[in-house]
Amino acid sequence: MSAATPSRETSNTVRLLAPGVVWMILFLVAPIMMILYVSFWTQTTFAINSTLTLDSWKNFFGSEAYVGALWTTIRLWLIVLSLTILIGYPAALYVGLLVKSKTVSTILLVLCVIPFWTSFLIRVLAWRPMLGKEGAINIILQKLGLIDSPIEVLLFSELSVIIGMTQIYVVFMVGPIAFMLGRIDRNIIEAARDLGAGFGRIFWKIVLPLSLPGVVVGSIFVSVMVLGEFATSGALSGRKVNLLGNIIVTQVGSLKWAMASVVGVILTILLGIVVAGFLRIVDLKREI
Amino acid sequence: MTQSEPIFRLEGVTHKYGDLTALDGIDFVAEDNSYIALLGPSGSGKTCLLRVIAGFEKPDTGRIWFQGRDITDLPAHERGIGFVFQNFALFPHLTIFENVAFGLRNGALKISAAEITDRVSSAIEMVGLSGMEDRSPDQISGGQKQRVALARSLVLQPKLVLLDEPLGALDANLRERMQTELRAIRERLDVTFLHVTGSETEALAMGDQVAVLDKGQIVQYGTPEAIYDSPALSDVALFLNRFNLFDGRLDGAIFEGPFGATPVSSVRANTSDVYAIRYDRTRIFDADVVDLPGPALPVRYLASEYLGSSIVFLFETEDRKTVEVDHHLSLGEPRDLTVGEKYTLSWDPAQAIVFGKETAR
Repeated sequence: MSAATPSRETSNTVRLLAPGVVWMILFLVAPIMMILYVSFWTQTTFAINSTLTLDSWKNFFGSEAYVGALWTTIRLWLIVLSLTILIGYPAALYVGLLVKSKTVSTILLVLCVIPFWTSFLIRVLAWRPMLGKEGAINIILQKLGLIDSPIEVLLFSELSVIIGMTQIYVVFMVGPIAFMLGRIDRNIIEAARDLGAGFGRIFWKIVLPLSLPGVVVGSIFVSVMVLGEFATSGALSGRKVNLLGNIIVTQVGSLKWAMASVVGVILTILLGIVVAGFLRIVDLKREI
Repeated sequence: MTQSEPIFRLEGVTHKYGDLTALDGIDFVAEDNSYIALLGPSGSGKTCLLRVIAGFEKPDTGRIWFQGRDITDLPAHERGIGFVFQNFALFPHLTIFENVAFGLRNGALKISAAEITDRVSSAIEMVGLSGMEDRSPDQISGGQKQRVALARSLVLQPKLVLLDEPLGALDANLRERMQTELRAIRERLDVTFLHVTGSETEALAMGDQVAVLDKGQIVQYGTPEAIYDSPALSDVALFLNRFNLFDGRLDGAIFEGPFGATPVSSVRANTSDVYAIRYDRTRIFDADVVDLPGPALPVRYLASEYLGSSIVFLFETEDRKTVEVDHHLSLGEPRDLTVGEKYTLSWDPAQAIVFGKETAR
């Protein structure tokens, strides 16, 4: 081959990359830049103009309600993430490792996905008749005589938001973990047993490290979705829990584009930090 | 061989997978400090037997004794029996050093860090992998993985190591080298190897003792010489891949086969009447020769295979059965044969082994 090869290769690479790059610039990079830009615009009650100002940013960090929403978002995210891991990991362990038949484990995974056959909003709203003052849980507990008066904290509280989000997102944790667990060679676990390791040792030294990439991928899925959430908190908190997502919705609703952009930028940065942090735990490139 | 305490003993061990009987009432006593090859065709239950001894499967009935102790109900991690997997089953996320150290770090006994380093280093040195401690399992070759798997078991100083087709995943060249090395390593340590294989050459070459497993039963146990020279059943002879076997009919002291009726001196109990003569005891004569050493089997010459130290001649009988003749080249140059020509095969009847349904004799 002649000296033309490298340059031809380069031009081929450029041609293959171009559509994707153009798409990403138009629909990802440009909008994000626009949001960043708009966050510095001047907002008046009924209009917005492109005079640059830090007012919206000062407004955000000066307001207890906004900063509180940031902390609520982080707190709820950490709680929901922990719960999805705590509930999802054992389920994945069962589906991916303890069930010996591949058919059964596929059936179980499909069962996990069945709730997704109904729309997101219905899944969220279905929690109301479950958790309400006269909802299924309270009625059953009262009939059993375990409680005298209904538990009110179940619905329209932070707890109901946590319950709802955990139920909706736990499957995104189960899937990737079960997949990684399913790839573990059974002989490896038997070899560890043969070398004298008991169940606990095998879990901590073999099973957990080998399934960690699944936990990281699941955590990224759950984090991205929970951090941007507004519907579950809107429907199940009775407006008591305000997440960054809810603020964006209300600000956009009242045409406060600059403030909505500030929150959007903060949310994007937060997501970037979280995802980058997870990727530092495991080298995902090695797993693909 | 000296009389010694058996290292392990199986009493009527039976194991079923659903309707399939993998192990059918196995009784077996293994001597201490020996190399035992367990030979069986695929599906004979040999891997199942290893898994039962290791404790990965529980036998339906029967007891397993190890070093004078009944271990039938003991979980695998408390048995102290080494296991080398066919695919090596190294821990992919740990270095070679940590793979070998795993049993020392995670076993029931607390072992000091200094002792772990010492023992792991010497185990790695023993299998010839010094300098590779920090590599990960995907950075080493198949033969090296095999050595790591072996070191990982041996570092715990077990009295019994089970090897499940340990050479099956290696290429032919490496297989031969590892055969020698496995034997050498075992001789240096006071340990019994139970080596499962489907290859008769491997079993005969490696075992001090060879056990032949067929349909979930041990059908013969003895030295490689004993098994090679006098297979107990026609199935063993078939599996050894060293015998021409002829179906026929045994009537008293006369065997009627494709080579006519021939007198037999002794008969072994079997499920059918079979006449066996080793490949290298079968000799080739021209079709018209009359002073044969024994029975005359008319055949047609098909082809030959040159194996370096010997030549294998393939013939076909009148009923289209392939017969092999093994001519060792140290016995002189082989004769020239013409493909398609008719010849007569014959042998010394005293060297034949006859299996018969009639067990009277």
